[in-house]
Order: sequence, then structure tokens, then C-alpha cells
Amino acid sequence: MTPVDLDVRPGRREDRAPSPPSPRRAGSARRRRRHDFGWGLLFASPYLLHIVALLAWPIAASLYLALTDYDLVRSPSFIGLENFERLLHDDAFWASLGHTAYFAILYVPAQTVLALLLAVALNRTLRGMGFIRALYFIPVISSWVVVAFVADSLFNPTFGAANAILDVFGLPAQKWLQDSALVIPTLAAVAVWKGVGYMMVIFLAGLQAIPPERYEAAQVDGANGWQRLRHVTMPGVSGTTFLVVILSTITTLQAFEQVYVMTEGGPNGASELTVLYLFRQGFQFFHMGYASAIAWVLCLLILLLTLAQLWLQRRWVHYD
Amino acid sequence: MTESRRKVVPVLFLLLGAAVMAVPFLVTVANSLKTFEQYISVPPQWLPNPVEWANYGEVLQREPLFWRFAMNSFVVAGLSVVGCLLTSSMVGFALARLRLPGRQALLAVALGTMALPTVITIVPSFVLYRQLGWLDTHAPLILPYSLGTAFGIFLMRQAFLTIPRELLEAATVDGANPWRAFWRTQLPLVRPQLATLGVFTFMASWGAVLEPTIYLTSEEKFTLPIGVISLQGQYMGNEQIVAAAALLSLVPMLIIFVAAQRYFIRGVVSSGLKG
Repeated sequence: MTPVDLDVRPGRREDRAPSPPSPRRAGSARRRRRHDFGWGLLFASPYLLHIVALLAWPIAASLYLALTDYDLVRSPSFIGLENFERLLHDDAFWASLGHTAYFAILYVPAQTVLALLLAVALNRTLRGMGFIRALYFIPVISSWVVVAFVADSLFNPTFGAANAILDVFGLPAQKWLQDSALVIPTLAAVAVWKGVGYMMVIFLAGLQAIPPERYEAAQVDGANGWQRLRHVTMPGVSGTTFLVVILSTITTLQAFEQVYVMTEGGPNGASELTVLYLFRQGFQFFHMGYASAIAWVLCLLILLLTLAQLWLQRRWVHYD
Repeated sequence: MTESRRKVVPVLFLLLGAAVMAVPFLVTVANSLKTFEQYISVPPQWLPNPVEWANYGEVLQREPLFWRFAMNSFVVAGLSVVGCLLTSSMVGFALARLRLPGRQALLAVALGTMALPTVITIVPSFVLYRQLGWLDTHAPLILPYSLGTAFGIFLMRQAFLTIPRELLEAATVDGANPWRAFWRTQLPLVRPQLATLGVFTFMASWGAVLEPTIYLTSEEKFTLPIGVISLQGQYMGNEQIVAAAALLSLVPMLIIFVAAQRYFIRGVVSSGLKG
């Protein structure tokens, strides 16, 4: 998980303009400035190298590779837009986009709503709250490999706990991750289980930023619990909600590790998400050009979706 | 709704949720303490009887590769953390307090890369590391952190901005060069943010699956997550042993979490504050 930080706290003091040079310094101000630039460059040099070697160059190379046929053995041969044309008619690619969208549609709202409700419930002083919060955080710190074993202990068709529970209620056993109709919902449920604690903490910070006077005012107006949730809490955390939705959408569209570890795209490709498809094309079949084209199409889709959400937020996000 | 119900409903909801969080883990722990016959018994036998500690013994004593994987993970995560803390605080300091042409532009680029989907660089990065001859080494796993991460740089920049500028000026007047001033007077004041960045970097590196899968090919170089996956093939029909190995791989992370919970929470919060 790569944490995304968009923190530009309002009201935080930005660094001031440099103080005017004292008369003593004025004579060598120019040389001093050059000297200071040297130190600045030195301190910033690791990230400058990062940008050039690990961002700018790879992005440019990716754009070029997307226009080539490249198998790592022979040097890349330029084929223009052929990869993109092939993508248009590649059923497996479209199917992977469909699976990814299905996964996102189940996962993003479920996780957002649950995280918000849990945060509202947790937002009080009570003994043992720290322990409860810690319990919610254990899946967050677990790697997907650990989570895969935990999920197997639940959803294994023969000895898993989920079927045992269904059996108690007289319901038929399911094949869960081995059932092409159930695999994506099961994966989404596991993803919510793993991620909800993280988003809950983000919501908790948002909740604590709501001025208590608003609740007092609502109380005076005779609002009940639901009305306060609807008219004070939800508008109060709409900015946070927006962020949570954006973050989880972006990470879902790039989801790879969970399916790689838990299903390898099975059964019968029913859980092959787009990045897993990209991974296979690139690192199993060595279609490096084609994999780059997939990456660009996926990026474009992520960009469009983010822009659409940014546009939509004007209708429901309240900023103070 | 009465006042008491108002308090009871959320607490019940929380406890139910906590049970949903905890029970699958407990079932997995129980599984790792079963014999294979108990592990696959139908209907499931919830509690291991007798408790089979031998699964953990098998992993820790008879499986030399497990220790190899653990060492690799410690080396990779440790170097990633050290590198990330050093460089992110240097760059964050430059962005907060040093003169640098294009400082605002650099900050904007760092912020922009957080929104950049990582998939775009997977293929060309592989090509790059291949040309450098770094495939099947740990370098591609460590280098991206060691050159500073956008999250780290931003976190550290914000931290340095909260230190009164006078402190730095005083140090410089006393004749310290920027490096000494940074190292002696500034860095000790941002320890909480360093701890936050450290635990986050460790978590990301310790649990990574994609990068080790792409870059590592020989088993003795594997990190724990992909090492555990490779053990699965070896212990076919003894999955309870691999479950024990998977749970063991969580232990260092769990210890760090228990010791540094507030830094984790701080890190999550700072990753979520709206712009």
C-alpha cells in the first residue's frame, strides 16, 4: 500500500520570505546565494535522481514501448498504434476491465459506508477503545499473503468456517473463491475486511474536526440520532468521504496483489483484474510493448474517473 | 431513542465489528496448531486437540529457507527504512528551509506523483533494472525508498516548517554549515514524524508482493511474502505448516505495531487530511 498524502493544512504557516540581508552580509549576498543553492541542490539531489531515473525516464520509456513490439530478446520494433488496436479487440482485456469495475463497485461503497459508521461508533471516550481500534488495524498491517491464509480458513469450500456457518442456518455450502459468480464478491468482502480499519482512522480524524457547537445546535433543535448523522456528521465529513472514495477507487483499479495471491485470476479467469492481466502479458509472456499499452489505457481510465469524481464532488461535498 | 440505547447501539456495532475482525485470525491461528487431519476435517474441528506446536517447530527448525526469507525481508525493509528516512528528511528540509531553484515546482511534482498510478512504470522499471544487471538482487526493492518517497518528503517538509526558523538561523550564525545545522538542530526535533515515516515504510516494504515477484527469481533471495508462497508448493498436503509460516511472517510487523501504534495512527491521519 502506498500511502497518499494530500496534506496542505489550511492555516498552517507557510515559510516566510527570506529576511532582508543585514548590512554585514550585503557585500557577499550574491556569492552566498549561489552557495546556498549548492546546499539546496545537495539536499534535494536524492529525489531529483528519483524523479529522473525512476519516474521521468520510465514514463517516457513506457510511452515509447507502448508503440513497439518488444519481447526483451530482440530490440523493440516500432509498430505505431498496433498495440492499442489489438487492445480494442482483445476480449480478455475487456473482461478484465469488467471484473475490475465489478470489484470496485462492490468494494468502494461498502468500505466507505462501513468505515464511516465504525468511525461514528468509535468517536467517543470509552474504556478499551484503543484496544478495539487496534483490532481493526491488524488486517491493515498484515501482508496479502497472511490475509490469503486467513481468507482460506473462512472460505475454503471443504473445511472453511463460512460454510460451517451457512450449514447452521440450513443453507447450502458455497464454493466461494472457486465459484466464478461468487469470486469477486468474496474478494471484495476480504478487501473490505483488510482495508476498513485504515479508512476508519481517516474518518475518525475528519469527525474530530467537526465543531461540537453544530451538534449542540442540532440538539437544541431537537434532532434525533439519525437526523444528526444525516445533517451534521455527513456534511461535516463529506470532504473526507470524497478523499476516501478517490483513494479507494485508485487503489482498486490498480489491485494486483490480492488476486495474485488469493486466486491467480481464477476460476476460469473470473477474477482476472486488469493489472493481473498486464502482469501476465508483460512478465509471463514477455509482451512488454502490449503490457505498456495496457498500462496507459488503465492510467487514462483512472484519470478520467478521478476527473469525473472531482466534477461530481461539487454537488455533494461541503467545504467550510 | 433513549439516551442509553443511543450509547448501546454503537458499542454493540463496534464489538460485532471487532469480532468479525478478530475471529478469522483466531481461526487461522487455530488451524496452524492442528495436524493435517484436523486441519481438513469435515465438519471443521474448531479447536486443535491436541495442540500441534510441531508446525511452528517444523518451520523454525527444519526449514532453513524460512530463516533465509526472514533475513532477506529484514535486510530489504531495514535498508528501505534507513534510506527513506535519511533522504526524505534531507529533501523535505530542502523544500522547507533551503534556497533551491524551482523549489515550488519540485514540491508540485512530488505531490503530483502521488496521484500517478504506479502501474505505468512497472514495465520500463523492469527494463531499466535489467539493463543495470540488477535483476534478482534486492536493489530494485530498496532503491525507490532510498531515493526518497513523495509521502515521506511531504511529511518531513511539513514537520520542518513547524520548527521556528530562528533555531536554524541561530545555528548558522554559530558557524554550522547547513548539513551540521540540519543534523544537530533540526532532525532531533522531528523524531515523531521520522517514527511515523519509518513504520509506514517498514509496513509497505515488509508486505510487498508485486515488486519481489517481478524482480526476484532465485528462491534464496525471496522475501517472506513470496517465500511463503513458494513454500506452499513444497508442503503440498501440509498446509497447516505453511499457515504457521505465514503467521510467523506477521510477528515482526505486529511487534512494531504494538510498540508504535500511535505513530501508525498519526501516519494514517496525515495521509488522509484533505488538501
